[in-house]
Order: sequence, then C-alpha cells, then structure tokens
Amino acid sequence: MESLKTRKITSVWIVIVLALFIVAIILGILMRLNQGTIIQQSPVTFYGNMTTHGLTMIGIWFVAGMAAVNYLMERYVKTSYGVNLFALICTIIGVLMLWSSTFIGHFHAGWTFLYPLPFKVAWAQWATPVFLSSLVVLGVGWLVWSVSLMSQILKKYTLSQAFAWQHFKKNPAVETPPFILITMVTLVGVIACLLAAVLLLVLLFAEYFSNGSFVNDAAAKNLTYFFGHTIANEMLYLGLAVIYELFAEVSGRPKWKTTWYVAVAWNLSLAFILTAFFHHLYMDFVQPEGLQIVGQLASYLASLPAAGVTVFSILVAVYRTKINWSLTNLLFFIGVAGWVIGGLGAVIDATISNNFVLHNTLWVPAHFHTYNAMGNVLFSLGFFHWFAHKFDVGFYIDKNAMLKLTLILFGGIGFLLAFYIGGADSIPRRYSNYPPEFTMAAPLATVAAVFATFYLLAILLFFLNITKNV
Amino acid sequence: MQHSILWLFLILAGASIIVFTYVYLSSKKANQSDQGMNQPLKKRFWFLLILFVILGIFASVTIPKSPYYLFADETPARVLHVAAMQYAFILSNDAINPESPQGETDLVLPLNELIEFRVTSLDVNHGFAIYDANNQLIAQTQAMPGYVNRLRWKFTSPGKYNILCLEFCGMDHQGMRSSFTVK
Repeated sequence: MESLKTRKITSVWIVIVLALFIVAIILGILMRLNQGTIIQQSPVTFYGNMTTHGLTMIGIWFVAGMAAVNYLMERYVKTSYGVNLFALICTIIGVLMLWSSTFIGHFHAGWTFLYPLPFKVAWAQWATPVFLSSLVVLGVGWLVWSVSLMSQILKKYTLSQAFAWQHFKKNPAVETPPFILITMVTLVGVIACLLAAVLLLVLLFAEYFSNGSFVNDAAAKNLTYFFGHTIANEMLYLGLAVIYELFAEVSGRPKWKTTWYVAVAWNLSLAFILTAFFHHLYMDFVQPEGLQIVGQLASYLASLPAAGVTVFSILVAVYRTKINWSLTNLLFFIGVAGWVIGGLGAVIDATISNNFVLHNTLWVPAHFHTYNAMGNVLFSLGFFHWFAHKFDVGFYIDKNAMLKLTLILFGGIGFLLAFYIGGADSIPRRYSNYPPEFTMAAPLATVAAVFATFYLLAILLFFLNITKNV
Repeated sequence: MQHSILWLFLILAGASIIVFTYVYLSSKKANQSDQGMNQPLKKRFWFLLILFVILGIFASVTIPKSPYYLFADETPARVLHVAAMQYAFILSNDAINPESPQGETDLVLPLNELIEFRVTSLDVNHGFAIYDANNQLIAQTQAMPGYVNRLRWKFTSPGKYNILCLEFCGMDHQGMRSSFTVK
C-alpha cells in the first residue's frame, strides 16, 4: 500500500491543482466578459490571459491525472517518491516561469505557440525564452515522471503483459489489471508527445539563439499538434484509468477485470490516438491528402473502442444494478456522459467537410471544453473527493454534494451551449473583441460568463471541502 | 449547413443524456437480486457493429466532399493571389512579390465562375476565411509561410464577402480583415 509520503504529496498535488484551476477559470470568465464588452481589457492582456488559461488548464489536468494514477499505482508496483517530488517541483517552477512570461512579460502567442509566432516579438524580449524554458521545465519533469512510472510497471510485468497481449487468447496465465494496461498505453502516448515537444523546443531554441530561420513551418505545425492533441487526449485516458480502478470499488461491486475486448480496445486506442492529430491540419491543403484522410478515419475509429468498451462497460456496470452511489461515482458517471457528448462534438469537427466551416470557430472550444470541463475534470474531482474522504472515520455524508453537482451541471451546460451556438453562427474563436457584424457574439459571451460563474462556485465548494480533508 | 450540424449535435447529445439518465434511474430502482444487463457481450457486439456501420457511411459520404476535391476537374476562370501578413490581407490578380507586397482594393469577382485563391503568408500562420453576406463562414484555408494553399470556390450569390483571419496571429488578430464583391 501507499506510504504516508505518497499520501502527503498527492494531497499537495490536489491542493495545487484546485487552486490553479480556480485562477484559470477566473481568467476564462474575464475573457468572456471582455468579449461580452462588460469589461475592457487590452488585446495584449486578453491574449496573455488566453495563453495562461490554456497552458495552465492543460498542465493541471495532466498532473491531476498523473498524481491520481501514481497514487493508485502503489497498489500494484512501488513508485518513486523522489521522481514524484521532482515532477512537483518542476511543475511549480514551470508554472511560475510561464506566468511571469505572460503576466509580467506579456507573452501572448497562445498555448500552442505556433511557429514562428513566438519569434515575432510583441512583448518583452526576455518573455519568449522564459516561456519556452517554462515548457522545457514542465516537459522534463513530466517526461521523467512518465518514464519512471513506466519502468516501475515493466519491473513487474513484461512488455507484452503490460499491454495485456496475453488476454487476446482465452484463459491467460497472468492477469493484467485494466489499470496497468490503460496506464501503460497512456504513458506510451504521453512519452511520445513529450519527445515531440522536446524536438520542437530544441529546434525553436536553435533558431532563437542562432537568429536563423531554418525551421520548416509545416513540420513545426505537425509537431505542435502531435504534442498538443496527444497530451490533451492522454490526460483524459489517465482519468479513465482511475475510473477503471475505482468505479467498481466505490460502488460496492466486484473489481473490473481485463477481458480480450478490453485488451484489444486499448491497444487499438493507442494507434488511433497517435494518428488522429492530423485533423488539426485539415485546412492546410498542402498536407498530403492521404494524411488528411488518415486524420478523419483515425478520429472516427478512436471513438469505437472508447464507446464500445469504456462507455458501454460503465453503462453495463450501472444498468439495473444496485450500486452504492456517492459523489465519487456520480462524478465518474456524469463525467463519462460529458466525455461522450464532447466526443460527439469532436467527431463532427473531425469530419473534413464539416471542419471546412467549423475550424477555428467557437465550435472548437465548445467540444474540447465539453470533454474537459464536464468530463476529465469530473474524473479528477471524483478521485479528489474519494481521496479526501477515504481516511474518514465512520460513514461520511457530503451535505453539499447535490448543490455542487447542480452548480456544475447548470453552469457547465449553459457555458458550453453558448460556445456551440456561437460555433454554429460562425463566430471566430480567439478574438479579444468581436466585429460588429456578429450581433450574437457579445451577448453569448456575457451569458457564458454568468453560467461559468456558477461552475466556478461549484469548484470553490470542492476546494473548500477537499482541502479541509486532505 | 452549420445550423444543421448544431441540430445533429443537439439531438445526439440529448439522446446520450437520456440513455445515461435512464441507466442511472434503473440502478436507483434496482434491488440486490437484479442481475443487470442480459447478454451484455452480445449487445456490446451489436452496438459496436451499428456504430461501425454508421461511421463507415458517414466517412464514405463526407470524405468525397472534402475541400481538396472541390471542383478539382475544372479549370479556374480566375486566379486570385492572397498574401496574409500581420495584420492585413493582400489580394491581387497578379503574383505577389514578398519583397514589396502590393495588392488591389475593391476587387470584384464573377458570379458562378470558378475562382482559385492561392493563399500564403509572409510572416506567421494566419487563416483565410470567407464569410457571406449573412456572416456565415462558407469556405476557408490556412495561410502558412513558405507554402501556397489553393482554395477553389464558386460564388452563387452576389454581394459583399468578408475575409477574416481564423488562426491566432498576434495582438490585432481580431482586426485582420478584408473583403471583395461578387457580381
């Protein structure tokens, strides 16, 4: 079982994630208020906040998943406390560097820092190297953490066992727990995308310090989206690993086991998730057409194991089955629904002919906010809540559970609908202020800010309840 | 088209919410003796098969409609060169010299004839998005430095069309725009 030190560091991760989440939500609300002309920010402030908001959100929900997986991994293999601490320190330093580059240096090239925008300096000169260095610090910490977790798994399981290949046949001699399989598949994706980020950053630094101009724009774009798309998806898979491990346990049901179709599905997921990123480049017509088609097919195929195995398994586990419902498994269950609905929006956008009229409109933040704010966040909140109360003595009743869920659902759905309607109205994303011809844009942004405030209230309640107990 | 997409999404999302709510309520009503779903493996197989077929139909219907194949066999009646730069679009009937980029204003394009936009960028990545008179996005491509994206389109309605940048390109991204008239 886990040591006291692991318990403590997991508590620190949880408090940091929730605190940063609150700041990042506030930045998001300020952005929508500015778009709604309720407040006035300069475009530089707006885009700086947008950069901070995006990268902070990606970072915290990735580390939230990693911290949860690391904690639960102690049930199967010993993990390195030192590496966990190293990742924590790198994350804190990385976030401080990122925030100083954006808040003080006014760096505002977006969290995707699409080459060569970071080099068209419209901010303090030092902000570009500090921003890029913050990514290096975060990337090194996370890469070491991922490699360490994977190497610990491989000390106990062979490579084929870690991928559950023996489950392709009947009656395997060794059972691979689903948690190990999903973590392994996810870590491969995480390491692959972090290595792509390392390559990209090396190229960017080489160009920055040599004052040259030798990075190929199309190659940089492919690397950027391979990194960005993959990490954003893998952090969801970390959350799913937690659900596979905990859903049955907190529901008072038998533990889930790896079956042949679970093994096949997760192995296939890895292939699809690593090739689906091409859908970010559909509107670059110079990309080979074959890769564009691969992008659409991989995006479609990625939904099959997700829907047919994970989602279906959750539904089978719940349907006409007596379950000990608590805030933890309710958050997991609703989170899976949010993930499904965000996935529907994503598959629609991953259809090339739809992307032609949806790309970089508000439809894009609509779908990724759905599977993050109403999916992945709920997976992690479920874990946080379970973790905060697992050491309680006696039976615990969360008096605010229904209030928190109501606020999340009410605030989240309203906030997201404004994005979807805006996307259908062709309103561009990432605009600090909307052109006057988009008459619905500002009112929708204002309404979204109001709904997001309800969501924020729910998170504040979670923060108060959870930090009191960890 | 976008509003049809929104309706499709809302219907699918609504159906998902109904399924999850129904399954949740079935659990709330369940007794200890309830055995859950009958033959889940068989149902899972059928669910996957149906999903696979639906996605297969969707892919085979939509992929041929991808912008890369639009009017691919026709010869454009007009070629328009587009160079994007922070924070303006340069449009010209002639090739644009990146050393001294110059464009034309008040461009008029012919109705119902094939236009090819040859789109590039002189600095960072930009978007080249064409909006019709109702402010609906009708076609787009990216403007990437060092590459030329060819977008083919036939305008079937006369009027003023706006061009907006749809790839974040810096502090005046939201103000980067141009327009042309079709008649």
